[in-house]
Amino acid sequence: MNSLMSRPNPKQKFALQSIALLTLGGVSLLVWNVLKKTYLSDVQVSSVARVSDPLPNLFGDIYFFLSISFLGALLGITCAFYLEEWLPETNWVRCLIEGQVSILSGVPSLLYGLLVVTAFLPYSGAFQRIQGFPTAGDLNTASLQVSSFQGDMTLFYIAVLTFVLLVVPRVIKATQEALRSVPIPMRESAYALGANRWQVLTKHVVPLSLPRVIAGACRAMSCALAVSALFIGIYISGYTIQPGRMSGRFALFLGAALVLSIFSSFLSQRYPLASTRHT
Amino acid sequence: MKTEKGQPILNIRNLNIWYGDKDILRSLSFEVQEKQVTAFIGPANCGKSTLVRCFNRLNDFTPNFKFTGEILFKGSSLYAEPDATTVRKQIGMVFRRPTLFRGSIHENVAYAARISNVSRTSELNAIVEKNLRRTGLWNEVEGILDETPVQLSTGQQQLLCVARALAAEPEVLIFDEPCGELDPIETVKIETLMRELANDCTLIFATNKRRQAARVSDVAGFLYGGELIEFGATEKIFTNPQDSRTEQYVTGRMG
Repeated sequence: MNSLMSRPNPKQKFALQSIALLTLGGVSLLVWNVLKKTYLSDVQVSSVARVSDPLPNLFGDIYFFLSISFLGALLGITCAFYLEEWLPETNWVRCLIEGQVSILSGVPSLLYGLLVVTAFLPYSGAFQRIQGFPTAGDLNTASLQVSSFQGDMTLFYIAVLTFVLLVVPRVIKATQEALRSVPIPMRESAYALGANRWQVLTKHVVPLSLPRVIAGACRAMSCALAVSALFIGIYISGYTIQPGRMSGRFALFLGAALVLSIFSSFLSQRYPLASTRHT
Repeated sequence: MKTEKGQPILNIRNLNIWYGDKDILRSLSFEVQEKQVTAFIGPANCGKSTLVRCFNRLNDFTPNFKFTGEILFKGSSLYAEPDATTVRKQIGMVFRRPTLFRGSIHENVAYAARISNVSRTSELNAIVEKNLRRTGLWNEVEGILDETPVQLSTGQQQLLCVARALAAEPEVLIFDEPCGELDPIETVKIETLMRELANDCTLIFATNKRRQAARVSDVAGFLYGGELIEFGATEKIFTNPQDSRTEQYVTGRMG
C-alpha cells in the first residue's frame, strides 16, 4: 500500500516543478502587467481602465469562486444523492437526467461561454448599460468580465449561473461514481440487520463515499478554473486591444491562460473519476 | 414467545421468481420448521441465494425483481408488511464474505441495538458480551473490544458477523454460504455454532457443499435449474434420495 503512495519519481518531480514555475511565472507576469497599467504608468485612467484595479478584481474572483463552489456543490451533490439513492434504476426521470448529465459533462467549456453570449446576455439588458462598449450585436465576451466588478451585479449573476451550469453535471457524475463505489455487501449487511434507508445512508454510504465526493467536487471546480483562465485572457485583451489588432500583451495573457489550464488539467488527473461499477 | 420444535415458521406456497423476463425459481412449495436447520443445496446458479434472500426481503433492492405465490411468516404474508425493516429485524442474515462496519468490534456487535435506539452503555455492553459469548468469540476479543475488527482473522470476522446478526435477536437466521471463504478449521467452528444456535433459533442455510449440509442440517432441499427437486429430512435426502438427479448430486456424480 505504501508503495502506491510513495513520493514522485524524478521525472514526475521535474514535471511538477516546471508546471508550478510556469504557473507562478504566468501569474506574476499578469499581476505585474495589471499593476503597471494602473499604478506605474502615466496612462490616463478612464472609466474602463479603472476596472483593472487589482483589489476589486481579487475580491471579485474570491466572491465568484465561493458562489460557484457553494451553489455547484450543493446542487450537484444533493441531486446525485437523490438520483442514486432514492430513484430506482429504471425510473424515467433518472434515465432522462442521467443522459443529460453525461451529455452536458462532455460539452467543451467554451460552448458555455457561447451560451452566455447568445442566450443570456442579449436579454439581460446589460450591454446597454455599459458606456463605450459594443452592443449585443458584437458579441464581445469581454464586457461580461469588465462590468461584473463594476457594481452591475446582473452580469455577475449571469456569470455565476453559467459556471454553475458548467459545474453541476460534472459534480453529479463524480458524486454518483463515488456512491456506486460503496460496496453492495456493505449496504446489504446493514439492511439485513434491520437498518432503514436513512440509517444506511448516514452511517455507511456518506462516510464511505465522502472522500471521493470531495475529490470529485474538486475536480469539477478545477474544470471551472480552467475556463476562468480562458476568461482572463479574453477579459484582459478586451480592453487592452482594439478588435482587429493583436498585441504582444494579448499573446502574453493567452500564454498565462494556457499555463493555468494545463495546471488545472493536471489537477483533474490528480483526482480521477472512478469508472468501475459494482453490481 | 416460544413455540415447540417442529412448528412451521415459514410457509412457501407456489413461489415463482423472475428477474425481468428470466425465470429464476419455478413453483416452489415447502415449509420451514421452527428451530431446525434447513439447508438448500445445489450447484451454482440454481437459485439458492435468490431463494434465501426472499425470506428477509433483500431482493426488494434488485431491479426487475418479480414474484408470484405466497411466503407466510408465522401465518402472515411476509411481503404484505409495509416496512421491510421490521421483517429484517426478525429474519437476520449472514453473508458469504464477512462485511465489517466502520468502528470498533463493540460498535459492530452493538449495531442492531443502536439502530433500534438502545443507547444506555450498560445495556449495550451486556448485549455485546452476550452475543460474543454465544459465538465463542468473547475470550479472544475481550481485551480489544474498542479496536478495529480488521485485525481479526477471516473466520473470526465471520463469527463477529454472526454475533452482530444475533444481536438483533432474530427468530430466523439465514446463512448464505457462510463458509465460502473460510478454511476447514474455521468452517468447523461455524458449523458447530450453527448446531448450537438451532436450539433457540430457526436456521436457513444455503450452500453448495453437500457434505456440509449433511453435517449441519435437519432438513434439506435440493435445488436444480430453478426447481426444488426434492425436499425432506437430511438423512433421507442423503441416504435414500427419490429423484435420480438428487442421487447424482449427493453422491458427487453431478455438480
